[in-house]
Amino acid sequence: MAALPLEGIRVLNFGTVWLGPVFGQTLAFLGAEVYKVESRKQIDVNRLLPPFAEGIQDPDRSLQNHAGWAGNGSITLNLEKPEARELALKLVEMVDVVGENWAPGVIEKLGLSYERLRQVNPRAVLVSIRPAGLYGPLSHLRTYGVTLSSLTGLDSVTGYVGEEPQSFENAFADPLLGVVAAFTALVALRWRDRTGEGCHVDFSQQEGIMQMMVPHIMDYFFNGRVHGPMGNRHPLGLGAPHGVFPCAGDDRWISIACLTEEEWQALVSAMGNPSWASDPRFRTLSDRVRNIDELHAHISRWTVQFNDYELAHRLQQLGVPATPVLHIADLYHDPHFRQRRTFVEVHHPLCFNETIYGSYVKLSDSQPQVRPGPMIGQDNERVFKGLLGMSDEEFQRLVKEEVIF
Amino acid sequence: MSEGPLAGVRVLELGQVISAPFCARLFADFGADVIKVEPPGGDLARSWGPFPNDRPDPEASGIFLALNTNKRGVTLNLDHERGRELFLELVRWADILVHNHQPAQLERWQLTYETVSQVNPQVVMVSITPFGSFGPYANWKGYDLNAYHLSAAGHRYLGKPDREPLAAGTFIADFYGGYVGAAWSFAAYYGRHLVGKGQHVDVSSAEAIAALFTGCQNIGGYVQDGIYERRTGGQFGIAAPAKILRAKDGYVWVMALTPRQWQGLVNAMGNPDWAQLDIFSDMFQRAQHADALYPLMELWSQEHPKEEIMNVCQANLCPTTAVYTVQEAVEHPHMRARNFIREVEHEGLGKVRVLGPIARLSSCGESPVRPAPKLGQHNEEVFGGLLGLSASNIEELRSQGAI
Repeated sequence: MAALPLEGIRVLNFGTVWLGPVFGQTLAFLGAEVYKVESRKQIDVNRLLPPFAEGIQDPDRSLQNHAGWAGNGSITLNLEKPEARELALKLVEMVDVVGENWAPGVIEKLGLSYERLRQVNPRAVLVSIRPAGLYGPLSHLRTYGVTLSSLTGLDSVTGYVGEEPQSFENAFADPLLGVVAAFTALVALRWRDRTGEGCHVDFSQQEGIMQMMVPHIMDYFFNGRVHGPMGNRHPLGLGAPHGVFPCAGDDRWISIACLTEEEWQALVSAMGNPSWASDPRFRTLSDRVRNIDELHAHISRWTVQFNDYELAHRLQQLGVPATPVLHIADLYHDPHFRQRRTFVEVHHPLCFNETIYGSYVKLSDSQPQVRPGPMIGQDNERVFKGLLGMSDEEFQRLVKEEVIF
Repeated sequence: MSEGPLAGVRVLELGQVISAPFCARLFADFGADVIKVEPPGGDLARSWGPFPNDRPDPEASGIFLALNTNKRGVTLNLDHERGRELFLELVRWADILVHNHQPAQLERWQLTYETVSQVNPQVVMVSITPFGSFGPYANWKGYDLNAYHLSAAGHRYLGKPDREPLAAGTFIADFYGGYVGAAWSFAAYYGRHLVGKGQHVDVSSAEAIAALFTGCQNIGGYVQDGIYERRTGGQFGIAAPAKILRAKDGYVWVMALTPRQWQGLVNAMGNPDWAQLDIFSDMFQRAQHADALYPLMELWSQEHPKEEIMNVCQANLCPTTAVYTVQEAVEHPHMRARNFIREVEHEGLGKVRVLGPIARLSSCGESPVRPAPKLGQHNEEVFGGLLGLSASNIEELRSQGAI
């Protein structure tokens, strides 16, 4: 098997909760040696979220935590203690990349600012992930992934048409921006390789999500238009039908999107050429876009008779873009994700099996490493004794004094 | 030419509309040399808009102009034999090939990874499609909406429980795929010397969301316990307050879960008596009494502008935000302070505002943004300068319909 492309890259990851660990995971899947720094002094809240393996409540058994953190190693440092901060700086000397998503001001308080890091390792890349970046009038903001999206305009266009804005009931931005932050680390590494100089990467989550708002942003720039919630409609109004329609069964749905005449005609024939479909209100795409609510009502009366999967297969055979709207159980059982091995079972050192996502991108040559979620401090000996060459005596003292803790 | 961190990286883009063009732009923004190949009729995005004053014009499409900055653009007809040959010449030049065509289309063009890697074993080829290059749905037709709903993100996390699951109001899956494709393909390029060659990077945007977002926090529990959850309608079921509430001039996203955050919010609300009730003593209690809690909070929030609510909450360490409209987000002084919105000059359009790069590197200066290419703008420069064709050759290829 071919090597992994990031072998030899070492990462010290102060990242917390969901975003920070996915930053480390992305690099680890691709071969980097990643150590998440955490502490029993204040256990990362993500470790405390249920469900737990075999129902046993324990910060080393949170199943959802393991999926998002898998790939990161773990060392413990109680950064409230000056000795722990010194050890952190010693580790900075030995790594290529440092990542963090602390609240504004924390990094300076800990004495781990970029200026300090640069003194001990001028080749290191520091990636600082903030809600709204390192400077600017909003740079003081604290957010969670869910509240972050509001600052980007995303929530303002999300929701049922004509109703109040809604947001995802979870931090949509977190795992995605973890991946994007990893990309910025690689960009900075290439800069370092060329110039010999490390750098400080200023990554604003707000800007990361605003990139996705380009269609609306350009409509505002060009036409001054400001949209409200779009439902499942095409964000640029170029499709009809374009929505989610009920199917037979409890909470079963199908997504259908027609942007071309060909797709619409295929749908009409799949529906058995109903007379309403030849109504002049549905003649051209712009007619259908204009009368989309009526159009959708007609289609709903047809889709509701069918099983979502069967109908999607049938529509696809005819050339209509359609997918079943999966729920969580479907995700796991779906033949497509099965064949792509999206979810894999791994054996955890605490003697249970857990199902997490594997390499969600497929590489033709390299085989990404997927390991179970890290236990708190699992790499302490390897890092402090092995990498830093600490004596056993010293290590035991620091454990006892709750520095390595 | 800019000397950004990716100067010298050669990227060939065969992209339409959003995912692949966005991915290639992420490279271009950091100084990679990106050549975008469009069919003679142009990237479909040129017909998508939005257009100034809604007047369709292939040189004035908003998403095209915003997603193709800093690139060179050429036209090639891949259905024409000479067009395909020229494309393979560019493959020989490239370090990274980014595309978003379905596997069946690549086979029709005979441009699968097998062919591409024979021509240039060192190239990293990244495919960004709704469903990926293999698997039962690989050749399903799918737009952003279809890919997104295959990820369960809507069913689990967005919409009312008795109504249809929702997409978010933009092309979530397409952008998601573009971002993931950039990170993974750039890693494959960065460590190419370790691997010994290029490789194929196969991204399914549906799968990326299904794994990273929906699967992450749900699959382990489902496999173990056999139960799974669905959308609830816009609030966290188990903890409160965590909900979008009405403000005087719009909406605010109010979140206060830990004791410190809740105390901060109570301070921000001016310490109302009801906040001391036992039923609101912790985040779980508050969730159980959400029907009482949220109306009481709205009595307060409706009286104040959203910016004021955000400011007073943030000053009290409560991570509440204003729900900005797109206009409010882009016009915020924060954007100017960070130079995130850039102006480029387009012939015939004047100054057009677009977005800057996704991150700033401290030791590396920022380059001005170059406008998206006009259709075939760099044909002479690339086919002549880079591939060494003579002017008469290029003219001949044009008249044959290859360029």
